Amino acid sequence: MNTKQKIAGAGLAIGLGLIAIASVIGFETMQMRVPPSYARVGPQIFPYIIALGMALTGAFIAWKSYRGGDEVIDEVEPTDWKNVGIILLGLIAHMNLLRPAGFVPAGVVLFMSVTFAFGSRRFGRDAMIGFFLVLFAYIGFTYGLGLQLPPGILKGLL
Amino acid sequence: MEAFLALMDGFATALTPINLMWSLVGVTLGTLIGILPGIGPALTIALLLPVTRNLDPTGAFIMFAGLYYGAMYGSSTTSILLNTPGESGSIMTAIEGNLMARQGRGAAALSTAAIGSFVAGTLGTLALTFLAPLFVKLALLFGPAEYFSLMVLAFTTVSVLLGASKSRGLAALFLGLAFGLVGTDILTGQPRLVFGYPSLLRGIDIVVVAVGLFAVGEALFMASQARLRTAEILPIKGSLFMTREEWRRSWKPWLRGAGIGFPFGALPAGGTEIPTFLSYFLEKKLTKHPEEFGRGAIEGVAGPEAANNAAVAGVLVPLLALGLPTSATAAILLAAFEQYNLQPGPLLFAGNSTLVWGLIASLYIGNVMLLVLNLPLVGLWVRLLTIPQPLLYGGILIFSTLGVYSLGNSTFDLVLLFIVGFIGFLMRRHEFPVAPCIIGLILGPFAEAHFRRALSISQGDPSVFVTHPLSAVLLATAAAVIIVPIILRRIKYA
Repeated sequence: MNTKQKIAGAGLAIGLGLIAIASVIGFETMQMRVPPSYARVGPQIFPYIIALGMALTGAFIAWKSYRGGDEVIDEVEPTDWKNVGIILLGLIAHMNLLRPAGFVPAGVVLFMSVTFAFGSRRFGRDAMIGFFLVLFAYIGFTYGLGLQLPPGILKGLL
Repeated sequence: MEAFLALMDGFATALTPINLMWSLVGVTLGTLIGILPGIGPALTIALLLPVTRNLDPTGAFIMFAGLYYGAMYGSSTTSILLNTPGESGSIMTAIEGNLMARQGRGAAALSTAAIGSFVAGTLGTLALTFLAPLFVKLALLFGPAEYFSLMVLAFTTVSVLLGASKSRGLAALFLGLAFGLVGTDILTGQPRLVFGYPSLLRGIDIVVVAVGLFAVGEALFMASQARLRTAEILPIKGSLFMTREEWRRSWKPWLRGAGIGFPFGALPAGGTEIPTFLSYFLEKKLTKHPEEFGRGAIEGVAGPEAANNAAVAGVLVPLLALGLPTSATAAILLAAFEQYNLQPGPLLFAGNSTLVWGLIASLYIGNVMLLVLNLPLVGLWVRLLTIPQPLLYGGILIFSTLGVYSLGNSTFDLVLLFIVGFIGFLMRRHEFPVAPCIIGLILGPFAEAHFRRALSISQGDPSVFVTHPLSAVLLATAAAVIIVPIILRRIKYA
């Protein structure tokens, strides 16, 4: 019974979230200042239509979930939020390390966070594989395809 | 006849060594990503967009198309041996195919899948060759109002037909359309929904959204579901040469699968999922061995695998002739056309016939390459399945962040990727389909441009959409797609 309530709550939250996004779109569009020559068929009509459609869909999902409909399907297995959090942290670390520390260290950190979240505890193996994968990607894409990837602390070495 | 001559010219383009190489790269990469769960053709082509910007477009499209076909071949291997579909088009294959592998008939299942894919892929390409020019003639009848209505129809069908419920499909569609609004309005140069961030002025790149939803969202979801992380790889048992009985039971499902797959691919119904479902249930109904269904019936592998390859050929008809993507991968391909400043449709056939016909001819060649890659060499590919999942997803995220960063050397895009990735996780967790979001994002700006052009031609009179007969028919069909099922349900309950 308890899980059922939680599921209805998720559907309600998603529905209300859609209404919130739609309101932001509608509000931002209202703030636009449009030259009168475009007033008729201007850049505002489409955002209004989309905001309206999204709000109606959100309201329908929220209403159905509130009424206990099957609008959001039951989960078979409980979600392991810890693993989700580890990958999200890895992504945040990656985007912050990329410029100062460089592509290779940032990539290794991201790789390690993902392997850890997927249940691997062979840190040595994962670090080695991650390091060489990121290194080969760096070398291949910068020298082979001419991409500009930040070298960071390995500047001069690579 | 006209098409035949054009096709011969196409073969002259496709058979040059450089284009043969692109085709081989495409089909090999396609087979690889098809076999690997967690990475599909839409994601791969999206990741390749930033690095193929300076390539010759003909070569790039030959590679992309080979990749799309290759993914359909490769994914059957994963379905059969791992019971996890490599792509959504192989969900049905996993049912009977994995049971066959459990009974030691895995090799026969792989054979009927690969040969069926070849037969249906070639038939589909033939149909594409002769239908595409006809669709181009149809496209000449389309003005802005008709294009807009066609896109509305595409939006409705992809949203209604995919996913667990209509409201989820529509929510995904509106989310994609909203992503598409962000940036500078093309017609007036005004910023929209940029919230004061200059980085948002150039819009949210489709690569960011596709990678966020397909790669980051998927990785987060898989990490959150421990149950999905254990799978048993079955060894290939039996002979890859099918027996006379197996051939006899396979050829009709191949042809029927091709017959279902091609038209469904061409309709805006999301590509390969629906035709493979239909093919499976049709074979189950028509089989002379109903007792085998649920215990490893070869028809249940032959039909759906043929259907998904024919569907890929079908997808290319409206994409090339009308610029209308009917699946997520097709939407990414449309973004690739944009990247090269090419506009699919009659102009493409007239002005870039080398590209179009070279691409179509390369599909015949690619199918032959894929048959060779996937039958005698299947043993090599199977080793890919032994890559431990943590390393696989670690690698996917490395290349995802690399691709997104290299779009504009901007960490801001990585922040967007993070946000979209989390949205993708929520969508996956609550069974919102991804394809409507991707199609909405790429097609939304086109729909808006046609909408505004139609209205400015009519001087603001919105009745153009219903007074033009073709446009009215398309809009009425869109309305029917939503309303008819509701009425039918009412009648059933009444």
